[in-house]
Amino acid sequence: MRPAAAAIGLRIPDNAAYTALVTLRRLGIAVERLERNEIWVFDDDGDPATLASRVEANETVFNPNKHRLALLESTAPRAGEAWIGELDAHDEVREHLGGKGIEGIRRARRYVAWRLFDRHGSPAARETVAAAVNRLLCNPAIEEAIF
Amino acid sequence: MSARIAVVLFPGTNSEDETLRLLRDCGGDAELVHWSRPAELRDFDAYVLPGGFAYEDRIRAGAIAAHDPAMDEVIAGAQRGKLVLGICNGAQILLEAGLVPGTAPARRPTAAFTHNGPIPHFVCRHVYVKLAIDPSRCAITRALSPAAIIPAWTANGEGRLAATPEHLDEIAGGGHLAFVYAHADGRVDARANPNESARGCAGLVNREGNVLALMPHPERDAWNFNHLDRPAGADPLTPSGGAELFRSFVAAVRA
Repeated sequence: MRPAAAAIGLRIPDNAAYTALVTLRRLGIAVERLERNEIWVFDDDGDPATLASRVEANETVFNPNKHRLALLESTAPRAGEAWIGELDAHDEVREHLGGKGIEGIRRARRYVAWRLFDRHGSPAARETVAAAVNRLLCNPAIEEAIF
Repeated sequence: MSARIAVVLFPGTNSEDETLRLLRDCGGDAELVHWSRPAELRDFDAYVLPGGFAYEDRIRAGAIAAHDPAMDEVIAGAQRGKLVLGICNGAQILLEAGLVPGTAPARRPTAAFTHNGPIPHFVCRHVYVKLAIDPSRCAITRALSPAAIIPAWTANGEGRLAATPEHLDEIAGGGHLAFVYAHADGRVDARANPNESARGCAGLVNREGNVLALMPHPERDAWNFNHLDRPAGADPLTPSGGAELFRSFVAAVRA
């Protein structure tokens, strides 16, 4: 079994990310740009070369008309990024990925990834990410943040 | 004494019309106030946050609205003792704003009304909620009878109270559990709870007793025509049980 991670983002304007960006700025957090992706961390028994196409074939998580998919090199957040996951989320494939699941994938854990960039276009500093997490992006009563 | 009540609208709010109509039927001088006119909120004596999907529930239900400039006024008013009632999405906003249970600084949420259990589906169901505190503990419930049963409609995908076990103890021990789900005869058990809400919670009150967050909609069971248990032949326009809570709220604002 091999852990793998995929990021599913929008190829259309991301209104939720824009609203979050405006709110973060209103809170005084210095963010120039904000990217939002849905992150799926899989336990995959399938052929690694076909993972992207297998995920893209599941219409519960991927709509080719509005989504783009990227396989990640790591199952951990990148610089400037926080992953927010629900504390009591179930990780059963059928609950997350629809009745048929995805061939080869035994378990799946979903996060929402927020990646913050500063005015130089660089990933935001860790303390900036922490401020965004603590003041807006994560409700610690029901969510965990990894960054 | 006048009772100027603002029904606060955010982009995505619904239920504002029946909320406004019921407040007026109960004697309240109520108006809709748009989120883009936050300064106007200062002149009101009390606030009602109706249901809906404020800002499309972006990030989390209630999270963006909790940081809206309109909520600056609502939070400031609540901290000065003004009455605030949040229903459904309005209740979620109050939790995200930290006004209920109110055990931490404002805008530092310690609990949430989140995805329903046992499966995270939208639930639309007629329910009853039972007053679980002494009526005088909360200004908004002061005119209700002890253990009053209020009919309402639950209509949400995220109405389950969740918090750490320690904080749930604090909520219960601190008298914050204002309403619990019950049967029409007042019995409280798991079958009355439509979404596995912790402690059977349907509503929370803050420590000071001036902010109440209620997940089901009493304003949708405010007249006989939307009350499932109405007697045969009853006048459809006669007020039903959901109006009781609003009468108590308006009486408190006028007091």
